[in-house]
Amino acid sequence: MPVTETKPNRQLNLLVASVPTPSVKACCQTGTGTGAGPDAPAVALVGAPNTGKSTLFNALTGSRVTMGNWPGTTVEVSRGVWKTTRDAATCDCEDCTCDESDQKLDITLVDLPGAYSLDPHSPDETLTRELLVGVPADERPDLCIVVCDAARLANSLYLVSQLRELGLRLVVALTMLDVAAKNGVSVDTAALSKALGCPVVGIDPRRRSGLEGLAGTVRETLGTPAPAPRPMAAELDSLELDDDRFSWIAQAVEVGTKAPADPQHTWSDKVDRWVTAPVLGPAIFLGVMWLVFQITTAVAAPLQDFLDGLFTGPLTDGALWLFAQLGLTGTWLEGLVVNGIIAGVGMLLTFVPLMTLMFVLLALLEDSGYLARAAVVTDRLMRAIGLPGRAFLPLIVGFGCNVPAISATRILPSSRQRILTALLVPFTSCTARLTVFVMLGSVFFGPYAGTAVFAMYVISILLVVFTGLILRRTLWRTMGAEPLIIDLPAYQRPTLRLTASVTWVRLKGFLQTAAGVIVITVCAVWLLQSIPTQPGERFGDVPVADSVYGVAAQAVAPVFGPAGFGSWETTSTLVVGFVAKEAVISSWAQTYAVEEPEDSAAPGDLGDAVLASFTESSGGHPVPAALAFMIFLLAYTPCVATVAAQWREIGGRWTLFGIGLQLAIAWGLAVVVFQVGSLFL
Amino acid sequence: MTAAAGVRRGPLSLVLDEMAVGTPTVAQMARNLALDEQVVRAAVDHLVRSGRVSARELSMGCPASGCGGCASAVDGEPGCGLPAPVPGRRAGLVTLTLTRR
Repeated sequence: MPVTETKPNRQLNLLVASVPTPSVKACCQTGTGTGAGPDAPAVALVGAPNTGKSTLFNALTGSRVTMGNWPGTTVEVSRGVWKTTRDAATCDCEDCTCDESDQKLDITLVDLPGAYSLDPHSPDETLTRELLVGVPADERPDLCIVVCDAARLANSLYLVSQLRELGLRLVVALTMLDVAAKNGVSVDTAALSKALGCPVVGIDPRRRSGLEGLAGTVRETLGTPAPAPRPMAAELDSLELDDDRFSWIAQAVEVGTKAPADPQHTWSDKVDRWVTAPVLGPAIFLGVMWLVFQITTAVAAPLQDFLDGLFTGPLTDGALWLFAQLGLTGTWLEGLVVNGIIAGVGMLLTFVPLMTLMFVLLALLEDSGYLARAAVVTDRLMRAIGLPGRAFLPLIVGFGCNVPAISATRILPSSRQRILTALLVPFTSCTARLTVFVMLGSVFFGPYAGTAVFAMYVISILLVVFTGLILRRTLWRTMGAEPLIIDLPAYQRPTLRLTASVTWVRLKGFLQTAAGVIVITVCAVWLLQSIPTQPGERFGDVPVADSVYGVAAQAVAPVFGPAGFGSWETTSTLVVGFVAKEAVISSWAQTYAVEEPEDSAAPGDLGDAVLASFTESSGGHPVPAALAFMIFLLAYTPCVATVAAQWREIGGRWTLFGIGLQLAIAWGLAVVVFQVGSLFL
Repeated sequence: MTAAAGVRRGPLSLVLDEMAVGTPTVAQMARNLALDEQVVRAAVDHLVRSGRVSARELSMGCPASGCGGCASAVDGEPGCGLPAPVPGRRAGLVTLTLTRR
């Protein structure tokens, strides 16, 4: 908006009822505040919020106004008398004959509301504009002191550029010089003054330094004619006008500030150069995540073994003893508690140390600001392949849990982008899948478990990228990419409180799932495993293979034969895993506990049983079969909660399409991985 | 969105161009344009204030309606396990998006 005189805004009086007239001078004469008298010069204090303007006003007038270091402190026009005294010893008059009355000058100081510019975006800015632009020239202040933050000089100078177009007497008061110096920037006030075309004085209102110099400069400037307005090119549109002002600002900053020849980049800048670099950035990101998984699996393994021993040993023995004491040995209740709750939920709870460690490490990365850099890397990748840049956010959230990630697709502006991203989210590997990956990784890959889990995450990213590319090339060829930039926060030292809080909330979510959905699933699985299909067998005392659960799983199992895991014990977990991925482990534990209850007391038996099952179903190629199973688990429908979220966000048709797409990709990849892998392993 | 032919392009237009080609950070823009970073940051701030660019602090996926609107919310708590914003402490992201005019 060009700075031109306008008619007073009639709505303004409602906003600033305490100000009698929209005029600084009239205000001084008739307002309720303190004025220096009708003949005293009126000086207005202007500047952006949070630049120390109110502190300066207090220091100069001694009056009390609200102070604070948050934007918008000054919401009313405050006035006070600024009693300036010219020291005769420093008077620069030639052959000074000034008497006492000449040396003293009372100024009416008016503290205008904080404003970034004269283009009003708030009632405060509207009032400031009105008092400086919307009044006749003779009612404007005799001089404006523009308070500028030296540490954010370019931001402050926009207001100066607009005021320079008005032909007002200006004095720029620079605050925060110490902060600027800490940032390695020194301000040359003389050079800046020349570039701006008005005096510049460095002050520190908090320590009351530089105020005498400011008073002297103001008095001196009041004695000079008002400067000519800064010349502007005619007929500029609003962007060109702003561009012109910013060119002027850039020049003033260049001339008036001195940065070291070798600019002092903060260590945050230096680190960012590496971690957001196009090639090195992704490599560092992958390295960091690999380290996270290595630390998690290596450190948590002994604790997990201990808990496993606890659940399958003393806890199971204790429960069996208790049932024996109650005379309930061999009953369905004992089966439910021992083979269902303790074996299923207990197995899941052995992952608590692992999940805790993982959540701590991720919280540290997040709180430090590193994950924001990872987002830059991801964003660049998304953009490179033509996917909407903003889609990276839901996808990153998806690595925690797919459900909120689906909700997060709402940030995308177009429905096509929302649908595409919601279809890709299920391919991001959520923490629920992590438990299964860790278990299979430790069984089949031993010391390389961390690397195996890490590989799943890399495959997850590749699945997102390639599926996205395929969908874009086929369904949404015309979808445009939304340009965006990311303003990175500075690195921060992670805080114990925040890290602990985030970890606890996430762990609580994991425990709630274990205590809620998984307990219900375990009961359902136990029920299905207890219902016989053959005549002569009774409820609760039936081999799993002959139960409804086993028979149904045997009917589905051949589908996965080409992928190497066509045993009914394995296939059934995938069906249960549709409810929640954590249930894969609990149902496995249940199946083997019921199948061979006498072996369930020793830790590590579940792993041995799973290994045996994969070895048999794959014809002696358990490793590629396990890899194929992990990939299937990664790619097929995450859980019912995700399906429900998709249904709500993108509708039933696309949700069903997504489920079909996920199953097709999961099965196809699993078959390829096993068939190729079994040639070598 | 761009300045008229014949008018020298200033920092604002150049920053808009950088955004349009996908320069990811303010620091990178400053390097590309050989401008002081504080000038670029001020230009971005001005573009946001003037409505040419929309700024949005991303809270890692929580819906605009807050946790209550989140599909995974449990008893009003964030189901995703992410903390509420901490005043003065920003570990998240601010995206700046060009506003089409």
